[in-house]
Amino acid sequence: MHRITNTILALRGLSSGVWVIATLFVISLILVLVRQPEQEGDLQFWVFSPEHAEMYAPLIEEHDASHGVKLDMTVMSIAAIQSRMMSGFFGGLPTADLIEVEKAVAPQAFMGPVDAIGFHDLTDLLLEEGLLTQLNEPSLSPWSVDGRVFGLPHDVHPVMLAYRADITEAAGIDLTLAETWEEYFRMLRPLMEDKDNDARPDHTPLSFWYTNQDLIETLMLQGDGQLFTPSGQPVIANERNAFLLATIVSWCVGPDRVAIDINEWSASGHQEKVDGLAIGYIAPDWMCSIWKMHVPGLEGKLKLMPLPAFEPGGRRTSVRGGTMLGIPKTTQQFDRAWDYAKLLYTSPEVARQLYREVDIISPVRSLWDDPVYNEPDPYFMNQRKGRMYIELAPEIPLRPSSPYNKQAAIDVRDAALNLAEYANRNSVYNAEDLIPEAIRLLDRVQARVEQRMSRNAFAAEDLAAGDGEAQ
Amino acid sequence: MSTGGVDSRRVVFSWVMLAPFLVLFLVFVVYPLIQSAFLAANQTFGPGTRTFVGTKNFELLISDPVFWKAIRNTFIYALGSLFVQLPIAFLLALALNSPKLRGRGIYRLIFFSPQLMGLVFVSILGALAFEKRAGLINQALDAAGINDLLVWVTGNDAWLEPDWLQQHVMATLILISLWLYVGFNMIYFLAALQSVDKSLLEAAEIDGAGPWGKLRHVIFPSVKPVATFVILLSMIGSLQLFELPYILLESSGGPDNKGLTIVMYLYQNGFDLGDLGFASAIGWVLALILIGLALVQVKLTRAQEVNA
Repeated sequence: MHRITNTILALRGLSSGVWVIATLFVISLILVLVRQPEQEGDLQFWVFSPEHAEMYAPLIEEHDASHGVKLDMTVMSIAAIQSRMMSGFFGGLPTADLIEVEKAVAPQAFMGPVDAIGFHDLTDLLLEEGLLTQLNEPSLSPWSVDGRVFGLPHDVHPVMLAYRADITEAAGIDLTLAETWEEYFRMLRPLMEDKDNDARPDHTPLSFWYTNQDLIETLMLQGDGQLFTPSGQPVIANERNAFLLATIVSWCVGPDRVAIDINEWSASGHQEKVDGLAIGYIAPDWMCSIWKMHVPGLEGKLKLMPLPAFEPGGRRTSVRGGTMLGIPKTTQQFDRAWDYAKLLYTSPEVARQLYREVDIISPVRSLWDDPVYNEPDPYFMNQRKGRMYIELAPEIPLRPSSPYNKQAAIDVRDAALNLAEYANRNSVYNAEDLIPEAIRLLDRVQARVEQRMSRNAFAAEDLAAGDGEAQ
Repeated sequence: MSTGGVDSRRVVFSWVMLAPFLVLFLVFVVYPLIQSAFLAANQTFGPGTRTFVGTKNFELLISDPVFWKAIRNTFIYALGSLFVQLPIAFLLALALNSPKLRGRGIYRLIFFSPQLMGLVFVSILGALAFEKRAGLINQALDAAGINDLLVWVTGNDAWLEPDWLQQHVMATLILISLWLYVGFNMIYFLAALQSVDKSLLEAAEIDGAGPWGKLRHVIFPSVKPVATFVILLSMIGSLQLFELPYILLESSGGPDNKGLTIVMYLYQNGFDLGDLGFASAIGWVLALILIGLALVQVKLTRAQEVNA
């Protein structure tokens, strides 16, 4: 009795704050205990694109019903997928059974020795099921490490040049005759007058700038520039890269510059496209749907053509962006996950919808005969753009899957910036004259990447192996 | 005996009440701290690869020019906060503390409102405002003829359409952060100004002190403790700068790493390159800098208390 009285006395002495906390604790506890947990599916699938999710939903529903399985699809941002996936891989914790990974994030999943990669190696399975030969070969490169494939490619993303045909045709210029960048710029020179006296040409031939890392990478890939060997050694400081860097920077400097920096994503950038500030735009297949959505005013004014090459006979396309579907090693249901992966990434229905909804070409070559790709597109003056992109698809350049690629690409962008500053400071605007400085800057980038890699005991082994190979 | 019983029960009860905090503190602060100290002496590269390297990460850090660039950028921003942001916040607080000013409440809300919008929103609006051709800033500079003036003074055509986020990264970050933080710091100064002893001000006035005299001899000494706190808070926040440049510079350090901060460099190494050990070493260096700053603040506060 005495003890109880003492306890009550002790409790009475507590402040009201303690009582508030205690009450909240009890209420929360009750709410947590009585809350019915949501019915979880048998498998989990993380997707970063709501458009993709919308396309997959009916197929998944149908498959679930016929197989008695339930796949839960969760849409989350690329950053959220990145952090959850990497936390899971680093901590050895379960993630999802299927993860759609964007190109910029995937290399992080490929860090370390091949057998420590968090995704299942799909190579043997792809071979056994004959899928490897059905897929567009270059589209596998960003998801491959040491010849092993860790993800099913979602797309090809070949690149063409979208140009303001309304303006060029009105001026009597047939741009399709331009086979090289040099010819392209020469043909458009007459449109660069400043009739409105605003101290800038009324039309500039190309929307590109030396600060746009993605476009620099796209153009360097087009010209066979290479930052890493397929086995991951950095080969940044080479003459070809220097030539390409000097060439594309020379487009942006000097009084006769032929490129202009139009923001690819902002409203003001879209308005500048409508105003015809630039004639040509580097356009991967997915960019077509972005334009249709954000710049509807250009419908019937644009046409597509293969990219002009750096040299006669050179490559007329490139590649930009990409997505893969991976199956983490932590999944308990690999076979079911693999079934879903094939259903979503190789089915003709999804491929068709992928093209109709977001203008993306499937990497499955056997699906390229689908009539959907022959449909004329009114946005691009009724060109059969699907077929045009498909014709270029096998030509897209290979891309490295090195985890150091992202930082190396940023360093190359910085080199481009430094080269442009050098050009402006010294009034050197000719590509050939910029090459020595480009080589010096790329040497610096190479040293920086090597230093970064050598700092890492594991990557340093690769680096040393590369030296050995070189010798 | 019974008193002792009550006391021991009180002790047990206190620990029970503290337990939720302690558990969270141990799991989310102490354990990561120990783990990061351990990681700083290791190198990692993807899952399942770790090797002990001792102090090598710190040695590499000291000889890493990019790290020093990040330190330099971060301190430029911190100094910008200290010498631009805080004086403006103080001046605004002084203006809004004046009883002659009508609609003070509205002004306070206006100046504080960027804080309510959040950093991401402010960053995106900032990026739009500083756009090269269509941005509000360049349009305004152009309309006022300042661009032409700058071209004439510097002889540099780039001032015709300054690309703020490419050419003047840190200046742009400081300017955008003014919008975000001036109102926030102003609230602290305003609270301090409102607690200045009125009788001291009256006494100073009777002694013939003018506005500057009152400011110097009454207001400054009165708001000094709050100012010290705001300076420390601002410095710590500045040294941890991450989200603003991360959003504005599209997750990179900006052209030529002109906008790379210490925390961004930590993030790049830890999450882009998978070198959690090197990232931990960066984190520890930053922690040491912050601890140093906190010690200076403690010393200053004690000195103020002694003087008082």
